[in-house]
Amino acid sequence: MRILLAEDDPLLGDGLRAGLRQAGFQVDWVRDGAAAERELRAQPYAAAVLDLGLPLMDGMDVLAAVRRAGVTLPVLVLTARDAVPDRIRGLDAGADDYVVKPIDLDELAARLRALVRRAHGQPQETLQAQGVRLDPAGRSVTRDGQPVALSAREFDLLHALLLNAGRVLSREQLEQHLYAWGREVESNAVEVHVHHLRKKLGAELIQTVRGVGYLLPRDGPAP
Amino acid sequence: MNPPPPATAPAAGPAGRRGPRSLQGRLLAGLLGAVLVVWGATAAVTWQDARHELDELLDGHLAQAAALLVAQQARAGEHDGPALDAPQLHRYAPRVAFQVWHAGRLALRSDNAPATPMVDAAALAGMPLQPRLDRRGDRDGRDSHHRRGTAADDDDRAHDTTRDRRGHADDRAGASAGAAVDGFRLGFHSVVLDGTAWRVFAAQGAEQDLRVFVGEQQRSRTDILLAVLRSTLWPLALGLPLLGAVVWWVVRQGTAPLRRLAQQLARRAPSDLSPLPTDGLPAEMAAPATALNGLFARIAGMVAAERRFTADAAHELRTPIAAIRTQAQVALAASDDDERRHALRATLAGCDRATRLVEQLLTLSRLEAGDAPPRAPVDLAALARRVLGELAPAALARRQQLGLDAPEGGCRVDGNETLLAVLLRNLVDNALRYSPDGAEVRVALAAPPGGGLRLTVDDAGPGLSDADRQRLGERFFRVLGTAQPGSGLGWSIVRRIAAAHGATVAVDRSAALGGLAVEVAWPAPR
Repeated sequence: MRILLAEDDPLLGDGLRAGLRQAGFQVDWVRDGAAAERELRAQPYAAAVLDLGLPLMDGMDVLAAVRRAGVTLPVLVLTARDAVPDRIRGLDAGADDYVVKPIDLDELAARLRALVRRAHGQPQETLQAQGVRLDPAGRSVTRDGQPVALSAREFDLLHALLLNAGRVLSREQLEQHLYAWGREVESNAVEVHVHHLRKKLGAELIQTVRGVGYLLPRDGPAP
Repeated sequence: MNPPPPATAPAAGPAGRRGPRSLQGRLLAGLLGAVLVVWGATAAVTWQDARHELDELLDGHLAQAAALLVAQQARAGEHDGPALDAPQLHRYAPRVAFQVWHAGRLALRSDNAPATPMVDAAALAGMPLQPRLDRRGDRDGRDSHHRRGTAADDDDRAHDTTRDRRGHADDRAGASAGAAVDGFRLGFHSVVLDGTAWRVFAAQGAEQDLRVFVGEQQRSRTDILLAVLRSTLWPLALGLPLLGAVVWWVVRQGTAPLRRLAQQLARRAPSDLSPLPTDGLPAEMAAPATALNGLFARIAGMVAAERRFTADAAHELRTPIAAIRTQAQVALAASDDDERRHALRATLAGCDRATRLVEQLLTLSRLEAGDAPPRAPVDLAALARRVLGELAPAALARRQQLGLDAPEGGCRVDGNETLLAVLLRNLVDNALRYSPDGAEVRVALAAPPGGGLRLTVDDAGPGLSDADRQRLGERFFRVLGTAQPGSGLGWSIVRRIAAAHGATVAVDRSAALGGLAVEVAWPAPR
């Protein structure tokens, strides 16, 4: 899952990036509000962690600007401003969660996962389709109850497909989900990962829409 | 003004028990005391006046009665029969008595008169013959008696009413009236007969052996006086409690706003610093209420500043603490050594930053508390050398050049050395922080010809926009877009310390190095 981290403090930003990577996120880190707004408009992030006291453009303004621009991704506001009016203002401005520093990294990761899950209409902690169950928190996958070992990239790819079950994702979209900035993307990486996933989880799980992209069909209507 | 309704009387209890220090109690005591004194004086004057008039009137009557008896006896001629007892005709009569002596014998007396002469029996013998009252001299005699009575009375007022004194006084009075005196004194006497005080007028007929005494009990005079006084004092005695109640009620009404104010203040929550309503307060109360409101406003300002500071400080402290926590967590979960080492180094850096921030906060908070620091002459040049020496290692590590230009002979200012060191360290540290590696920072001290002292710190950093320069020194204001972590507290501290020393801080573009130039100027000592 690729997320944007907007934090101007060098030490905290560095720590959050490292910690969220440990939790399995792909993290892009920007240090000012203007860059945050630009990236949020341009890239399909799964979620954003936004500090409010950002240089150049206040986090609250960034939030308002991207919401006006129709960006719906879940945004977690991480700030030192703990007054209740600040919280209310943040949530009203379009934040999905409001967290006061300092925060436990595991909790931050859990909150981000929950935000992403809810944003995709998934009320449960685990995602599942066609007997395949993915636990984003535990970063584990089972097929018919049996654990399946996946590489980090394979896991992220399956996660993206499961989150968007029933929708076609282009190769570019999948690449953006998989790689943070500065990571070299091999030209056929997505095809290779899909191939491995089919081998491990069954050929029927991921379908190819030729010339368009990949699709993981949604299970029948929920009981 | 009506007497207070009974219902308010019990309510007086708590207020009344507050003791003599209560305004109400003092007013009440003072007013009632004054009224008592005035009334007492009035009663005393009334008593004196009434007694004087009464004495004159009754003495006149005594004299006239005596004159009447003398005249009657003279007309009746010789009368050698036994003493006659005159009938009592009036209930007041027992208090009035008379005797008529003829040639040493009691010729006539009232029922209650003694058988012995009412005035000094020994003095009866061999008495002189003057003054005499005869029919022709009747009027003159009466006038003379009247005068004498008055003189005696005046004397009586001046001295004690003892018999001896009176006798002596009457001697003088008699002499002055031309009355012959030889043991027996004509005119008024105060005597005691059978334990009863009498006022007696002694008169002498034309014939030398005719003597008339007309007496009246002193008690009757006192009774009349007391009656007069009673009728005067009764209304006062009744009026005093009434007056007290009225005064009490009026004072209570008058001080009601004071009590309301006290209740309002007592009920107030400590956090409630809203102004008191001053509408409808009496003029005397409006002044303290306005003063209180001024105090409330000042305290509210102080509390607001304190609250802002706390909020800002909490806000500023959270970020470094969050960084420390996050980096520590990363280090714990790190799978390889490089990552762990990096996170631990970052943790330590975060601790250093938090420490610096806490120190700055404490410095600022002490400065804002406004305690005047102890002052002494400080050699700024020596101080600057020390501070620069402390900062040099860090500067050299970044290949930065740090230099000091100070005039020979030192630069003395009156101030607190510790605070001035903090000011210098903040300025130089700031310049080093925001200057790129290898850049130059110049510190200069100069004594302008006009007196005073000027400290300048020039750097080659990015400098500041005009708008940012304006906001510099606002607590926690941080220039955006800088990579250096900072709280913005340093500027607040610099400005505070400068202000405490009467120095001014000016920020401008550095002409020499292109970065920021900060000038702290001490005015010439007056």
